[in-house]
Amino acid sequence: MSAGSAIYGIVARDLARTTRQTSRFLGGLVRPFMWLLLVGTGYNAIARLESGLPYYAFVFPGIVVMASLFGAMLTAIGTVYDREFGMLRLMLASPAGVPAVLAGRATAAALVGIVQGGVVLACAGLILDVTVGQWVTALGVLVLASAVSALLGLLVAARLRSVENFAGVINLVLFPLLFVSGALYPTAGMPAPLRLLARVNPVTYQVDLLRRAFGQPAEFTLATELLALVAATLLAFTLTALLFDPEQRFVGSRRGNGKR
Amino acid sequence: MIGGEPAIHTEGLGRDYGAVRALDSLDLDVPPGALVGLLGPNGAGKTTAMLLLATLLAPTRGSARIFGHDTVRERRAVRRRLGLVFQETSVDGLLTVEENLRFAGRLAGLGGRELRGAVATAIERAGLGPRAREPVGRLSGGWRRLADIARATLHRPDLLILDEPTVGLDPEHRELVWRILASERRERGTTILFSTHYLSEAEPAECVVLLSRGRAVANDTPTALRAAVGAEVAEIEGPGAERLVRALRGLGATTAVLRTEQGYRVGIGGPREAVVELAGGAPGIERLALRPATLEDAYFASTQDGAA
Repeated sequence: MSAGSAIYGIVARDLARTTRQTSRFLGGLVRPFMWLLLVGTGYNAIARLESGLPYYAFVFPGIVVMASLFGAMLTAIGTVYDREFGMLRLMLASPAGVPAVLAGRATAAALVGIVQGGVVLACAGLILDVTVGQWVTALGVLVLASAVSALLGLLVAARLRSVENFAGVINLVLFPLLFVSGALYPTAGMPAPLRLLARVNPVTYQVDLLRRAFGQPAEFTLATELLALVAATLLAFTLTALLFDPEQRFVGSRRGNGKR
Repeated sequence: MIGGEPAIHTEGLGRDYGAVRALDSLDLDVPPGALVGLLGPNGAGKTTAMLLLATLLAPTRGSARIFGHDTVRERRAVRRRLGLVFQETSVDGLLTVEENLRFAGRLAGLGGRELRGAVATAIERAGLGPRAREPVGRLSGGWRRLADIARATLHRPDLLILDEPTVGLDPEHRELVWRILASERRERGTTILFSTHYLSEAEPAECVVLLSRGRAVANDTPTALRAAVGAEVAEIEGPGAERLVRALRGLGATTAVLRTEQGYRVGIGGPREAVVELAGGAPGIERLALRPATLEDAYFASTQDGAA
């Protein structure tokens, strides 16, 4: 009971914070449309895909995943702000403890990912010929993709010591996850090492599953996609639980400034 | 009803950060309903002791029990009884006062009508009514701290642990903070453990623990701690101060000697007449003042390196 109440409280707070950081929230909503417009228009003129799809149609699922990935991961990584500014210890000192904190943060981050990806998804009819069934299936995929991205974000936050590393995380984690996923261009044409990286990148399977939902050609089988995403979810959750150090904030600050 | 277990019981409680021994060994027994001050210089181990009691750090050695519950093995049971205030306020600047309290209530497991009632009561008790709908980030430091105190007391905990709750506050807000805490004790018999650098705040405490370099160097009532310094304290200044202090020591009239920037503070253990007579004939004494011992004298006598 107390865990449920704590999770609800954490989710409500995170969502309130997200909507009040107006420029960041609107930026997250606008970013995918800018990519669709700028990258999509540029590549549409030169790209000739084996599947025969126009580039706009090919990249659209990738852009939905990108919106969800950035929304969910950045919200989850925001845990490091709470660690830095003292709110995390408040949550950790609650009777619900670490599991509720992780569950609450993951749920809130996934919801932000769903909203940001969902806004793009709502415009699917402008780019693709989609049936209601395909749209609903795509929404289901978006929920799964956002959950995976939220847990990946928590995994990053588990060991991130300070907010100063935030920009580095975006450059070193988010962009590689996106670029080596087939979201913007097919992985088939990539050099072998990058293709290998794409195979172990959970975002690859999110994109592939979403393409399948829209009736586009998929690179992997449905079973492979689902298995990969479930495995990534379980792995990320287990690693986060193992790596998340409730004492990190206190021990780190004391080693740093000698305060006791 | 709190029951017969001590609110806080520690045995040899200690914590290291790598090679640094932050808290060496703390033995503490605090009965339910007590007001206990934890005093000491920066780096003495106060915050570490509080984090250990709050279950946010695991001890390197020793053990602690809160109302009979072990802080390592029964964390959840301990946390249900606790209200915590840290040195930096733990309220979210983007949320309103009311939203912060609702968040804290939900973390404590409250919901529905119980939560609404607790939030309304906490706002009223802290005098935050006119500011309840304002984002905390727009409040002054004093009101933010009061929102923090309202947050910590919202679920009516049996034990409040407050790490320098009044640091940086003006006298008006300091008084408001202590008024809220006093009403918690009066109405619910709440046990309060607090640290502070304002020594006057520790005067009303039933017990004061003085920490120095990770060890409790004194643990008694403020009256007993003052008495240990002596009935009176002599403030001695001038080039002949050191010689006079040596002479007083020779008489066996001193209980504690503290070096200050201007001279010495000496706890007087013997009859004051002998001290006055000896000082009256001593050369190079520019100022000699006798006054009752304070908690500050006891603090410096126990924690200062130059204490003798």
